[in-house]
Amino acid sequence: MKPGAIIPANAASLRSLTVTMAVMSYLACLAIGALILVDRAVTSWTSGLAREMTVQVRVVRGADIGQEVEKARNILSSFPGITEADVLDEQEGSKLLEPWLGTRSLEGLPVPRLIRVVTDPSNPPDVVGLEEALATVKGVRLDTHRKWEAELTRMARALSVLSYAILFLISISAIAIVIFATRAVLQANRHIVDLLHLVGARDSYIARQIDGRFLRTGMLSGFIGVGLGIFTFLFLSLFGGGSGGGFADASRGLLFSAPHIAIWSYGFLFAVPLAATLICLITARVTLIRRLGVVT
Amino acid sequence: MLRLENVGLRYGDGPEILKDVSFALRPGDFYFLTGPSGAGKSSLLKLLFLALRPTRGDLHIFGEDVGSLSHNKLPYIRRRIGVVFQEFRLLDHLSTYDNVALPLRVAGKSESSYRRDVMDLLDWVGLAQKSASLPPVLSGGEKQRAAIARAVIAKPQLLLADEPTGNVDPVLAKRLLHLFIELNRLGTTMLIATHDKGLVRQADRPILHLEEGTLSLQ
Repeated sequence: MKPGAIIPANAASLRSLTVTMAVMSYLACLAIGALILVDRAVTSWTSGLAREMTVQVRVVRGADIGQEVEKARNILSSFPGITEADVLDEQEGSKLLEPWLGTRSLEGLPVPRLIRVVTDPSNPPDVVGLEEALATVKGVRLDTHRKWEAELTRMARALSVLSYAILFLISISAIAIVIFATRAVLQANRHIVDLLHLVGARDSYIARQIDGRFLRTGMLSGFIGVGLGIFTFLFLSLFGGGSGGGFADASRGLLFSAPHIAIWSYGFLFAVPLAATLICLITARVTLIRRLGVVT
Repeated sequence: MLRLENVGLRYGDGPEILKDVSFALRPGDFYFLTGPSGAGKSSLLKLLFLALRPTRGDLHIFGEDVGSLSHNKLPYIRRRIGVVFQEFRLLDHLSTYDNVALPLRVAGKSESSYRRDVMDLLDWVGLAQKSASLPPVLSGGEKQRAAIARAVIAKPQLLLADEPTGNVDPVLAKRLLHLFIELNRLGTTMLIATHDKGLVRQADRPILHLEEGTLSLQ
């Protein structure tokens, strides 16, 4: 004969808690997705920027810009750590200025010439030495993109902090909700809890009769949340529109990248049900033990 | 086993329900607790099964000072006390069998270890056929018997009963009295609060009389 459940299953429904925790888990999935994408995008941008530099040669009175560009190219080509030095011709230079000056002819204007420099990532050039070597070229300026890299890093850090803050707030809210739900269950079953105390039940025994239900609620809501999260990313990757970046590409990157990368995405996403379960179980257990100690 | 010295009890800022109550129960004692309604019998029993703590005076149970007893020790003291509540306090969602087995279950015993004892006791109180029934379908007398069975199943050292024969017919009341006398003979200390003068007369045991919160031995 299997003994009946001491706390009846229908005594206090945890359906509202399941729905709320599923929403919290879903939001946590979105925040984790954003965190992963920002991290990956910044890594990709900064590694691209770190591999390239630009040398700008401005028109200087009394100097032949063609000769100066050639001099700079020769220095760059022979400098250790530089694998490529491509001089952009005047047409390419004009194209870069189109957003500001339009398509009209730039003939007669002192448009600077640009040299795109590709560096060896395993053996990067000595930037200070390169600047010194280029000092002989009139009107030269070396742009290492460090400023842009710093800006991107700052932006990424801000987005990461924001995502972590959102995750923190979601966790705090979830804990508060579980505390309220635990108190509600205790209140609804007060007559049972009082009787259990009077027949000699320890607080931990009573807590065990209740917290198993919170464990199941946490697990179920966590999996609902992560399921909805993955469905959202899948939906965006299929119907997010545009191939030029945006949500669609980001979601595709999250779900369908190479296995060794995707495993991390799925690992972080599936940490959500685990966290939801632990939050439900630990919060309910601590609340129960504290409350049961009061309602002697 | 149980000692009260000048115990007083009041609820909040209200009047004192129990005033300077002093008495002691030794192992094997059998007392009745009588008194008019509202005299404080149920409050005194609540003190003794540790649902309340005295507002003044000393209460010692099994050698422990209840005033300084830690929360963690309460379950172990309560397991040595059987209680028959006036309002039964059966759990409506559990079968009669599970209700009776509850003290053993919360003490961590396995179902296989107590199944036979519970069924024997249910048989003895005439509820064997109702072991699977839920309390809402039991009569008042059946609930009373189930509540008594739950109180004695763990063979407590002290049995406190609040009107244990209030809902049963005279024949069953007599059977229950014999159960109490048998338990007492086997060493259980008894304190039974009752209005049933016939029961008190039949048992011929000493009476503690409570009137307006003051206790006297009769």
